[in-house]
Amino acid sequence: MPRKQRRKGVGVDQDFDVPGGSADLGRLLSRRQILQRATVLGVGGLILSALPAADRILATVAPSEAAVNLADATLQAVADTFIPGRQATLTDLGHEIHPLAIAGVHHEPGAVEADALALFHDPLIGFDALEPAFLAEVETRSLLRGGQFLDLDFANRIEVMKAGLAAANPSVVVWEAAAAVPFAAFMAEATLPNASIDTASGYQVIGHPGVAPNGYAEYSYRRKLSRERTLFGYLG
Amino acid sequence: MAERVDVCIVGSGFGGAISAYRLAELYQAAGVSPSIMVLERGRRHKHTDFRQSTDIEHLSKTYGLVQGQGAQVVIGDGVGGGSNLYLAASLRSPSETFERRDRRPGDGPERRMWPSQITRATLNPYYRRVELALRVQRPSWKQVAKSGGLWAATLAHAGHTCDRVPLAIDLNRCIQAKWCHTGCIYAAKNSVITNYLASAEQLGVQVRPSSQVELITRSTATPYRYVVNVSEIDNDSANPTRQPTGTTTQIECKVLILAAGAMGSTPLLMRSRTTMPSVSDQVGKHLGVNGDHMAAIEYDERKVRDLLGLPGFGQFYKGNHITTMSYDFWTSKPGNANDGKRFTLQEIYLSPLAHTLYDDARAPAGEPSFYGLQKKQALSTFNNHIEILAMVEDTHDGEFIAPPPFGSHVRPNAGPVGVGTFNYQLSDQSIAVREAADAAIRSIAERRGLGKFMKLSMRHVFCAHPLGGCRMADSKDYGVVDHRNEVFDNAGLFCIDSSAIPTSLGVNPSLTISAVSERAVAQLIDRAADYGLPAKPAGFTPGVPGVALGPHTTPVRRLDDAAVDAKVRSYS
Repeated sequence: MPRKQRRKGVGVDQDFDVPGGSADLGRLLSRRQILQRATVLGVGGLILSALPAADRILATVAPSEAAVNLADATLQAVADTFIPGRQATLTDLGHEIHPLAIAGVHHEPGAVEADALALFHDPLIGFDALEPAFLAEVETRSLLRGGQFLDLDFANRIEVMKAGLAAANPSVVVWEAAAAVPFAAFMAEATLPNASIDTASGYQVIGHPGVAPNGYAEYSYRRKLSRERTLFGYLG
Repeated sequence: MAERVDVCIVGSGFGGAISAYRLAELYQAAGVSPSIMVLERGRRHKHTDFRQSTDIEHLSKTYGLVQGQGAQVVIGDGVGGGSNLYLAASLRSPSETFERRDRRPGDGPERRMWPSQITRATLNPYYRRVELALRVQRPSWKQVAKSGGLWAATLAHAGHTCDRVPLAIDLNRCIQAKWCHTGCIYAAKNSVITNYLASAEQLGVQVRPSSQVELITRSTATPYRYVVNVSEIDNDSANPTRQPTGTTTQIECKVLILAAGAMGSTPLLMRSRTTMPSVSDQVGKHLGVNGDHMAAIEYDERKVRDLLGLPGFGQFYKGNHITTMSYDFWTSKPGNANDGKRFTLQEIYLSPLAHTLYDDARAPAGEPSFYGLQKKQALSTFNNHIEILAMVEDTHDGEFIAPPPFGSHVRPNAGPVGVGTFNYQLSDQSIAVREAADAAIRSIAERRGLGKFMKLSMRHVFCAHPLGGCRMADSKDYGVVDHRNEVFDNAGLFCIDSSAIPTSLGVNPSLTISAVSERAVAQLIDRAADYGLPAKPAGFTPGVPGVALGPHTTPVRRLDDAAVDAKVRSYS
């Protein structure tokens, strides 16, 4: 499994190389995967025909150089919209990150690095059952913002999320379920048993040590800090 | 052929464990081997099974997160129920709670919402009983967590009082790691698996995990009264489905105690009403959330030093989850005229994940508040947050639509998240008192720029304290069980758990649920012979369950925190 670059504090704090052009993107995608996942999206030709980027992507695909497929890349982009992060190529678990997934609007790791995609697909979460309908709506709403979700800039991705999460949206519960996953990956480190700050980028960002089998010695200010109203801690 | 026992108890949390232990004491005093069975749908936990981890596999074994229409409810799963996961704040509910007359519009005429026999005074002996069993102790100020101390100092800065919270924790054994919420790995937290339930088993009570009760019917074999249909649940296979395996059994009993909690006993009794129409039509109604209302504060650490005189904060991750709270917004509103307006404000640490629930407090025009860039910035300051749990006097605003075909909620997979068949829509009163609590927290937190108030941002009610659904009342017209927790018109059938609690409590509910349970089982023991159980011997006195840790690891606390604090700072 590839090793990911760690955040500052444990060594390297570096910039990551991000593929910049369509040729780079093409190297990371296979035609078969794009077609397969586009079908999974459930909106078929409608979305593909409306996507100016599609031909460009398909024309530059080099077979068998697949990494993260299109649907998964979109889920990563969704996760990055909920909890944005720095550009990166690998997750905490060593999984690859699609080069267009992370908008790069925050300087610290986000939900994608914290393996939100793995959690989306975890059978104990069950989001796979919602994925086709969710992605279909994501892409449909993205068209109104000018293109495929992956091709949108962060501001437009946010607008797509705001529309999906509007209380008036009949499918808002699906969007809320989708929102819960990146937060669980990032804040609860749900994909990492016994996560610690050494290995879990979410914990690194929030400053949580993670497992603490020896607890803490200096956990109290050790002085009275307020007048108390009761004798025993509860009212009569 | 049904298996026969005298007493069948459905559920192994506070109510079930207390019932099991006290009845086992009765059998012991009578010189009879206990004929008591506890059925638990979850798996058996030893405290050494728990982990300081919120990974999805561990959560799936211990938690349920039930998503209803309008509310998310957290429940415990497994032997020990919610006691494995609670944060151990153990508080007597204020007197005013039991005298309340406010209610949701349409919920009958004005009346006392609790049965007339139950007051704070009548519960006090039972509160004491539970405090002894759960070894409740109040932390000294030297044991108050920094987060709790910061809340106390913040309240003092705003001219308010703040009290230390009694805890069901062995503070000598506790390592102050703030990992109660996934089960204490050292059993320093007094869950029922190390006291009531462990002692009940030592006295001969059978505890049968992975046994989900699906239906109650009447027995025709006097003196047996009830038969329960039980599904075996696949909890322990290599890839557990947590669904029924298809193997079913029946248990026939003289006394049936439902102790599966508001989210478990209620749908079971609703489903069983088809065969027992004499159960009140109030079953499934008046589901409550204990007035739970969350918020958070993001502190300016410089102001913490300058205004409060503390040496900074940045260590939300240390100490007990709950150590301080203020009663100022309760005691300032005495009398029934203020029913529905009181609340308490408690510093609490739920888990980092709970911070999903809060607005980022930055309020940029047009930007989302619970996700996106602003939210990410707010998450990055996590260690300078504290969370506040307001426990408000709301109305019980939920109602089960119908029970699911089996179990208490629909489980689409083996994970912790399921779908509950209930609606929850806050009443105007429930909204108003929450807004009052928000205003109070904001005023206290933002005084002189000390911190930013972070408002609950989700559309749903989030609740770790479900109550009601089989609430107690003076009359079958308004409730399901009487003051003894016995189902109206169904002798020998009891709801001894959170489902019987008719109002929010103003404090964390475990001690009151336990005290009401102690009272109910004491009343049952007084009349035990009437139910075909051993008669209460003269001079019978309930004791204190021993502590049984079982195989355990001796905790060793680090001597100083310099290394871990430095590591945390290096990432900040």
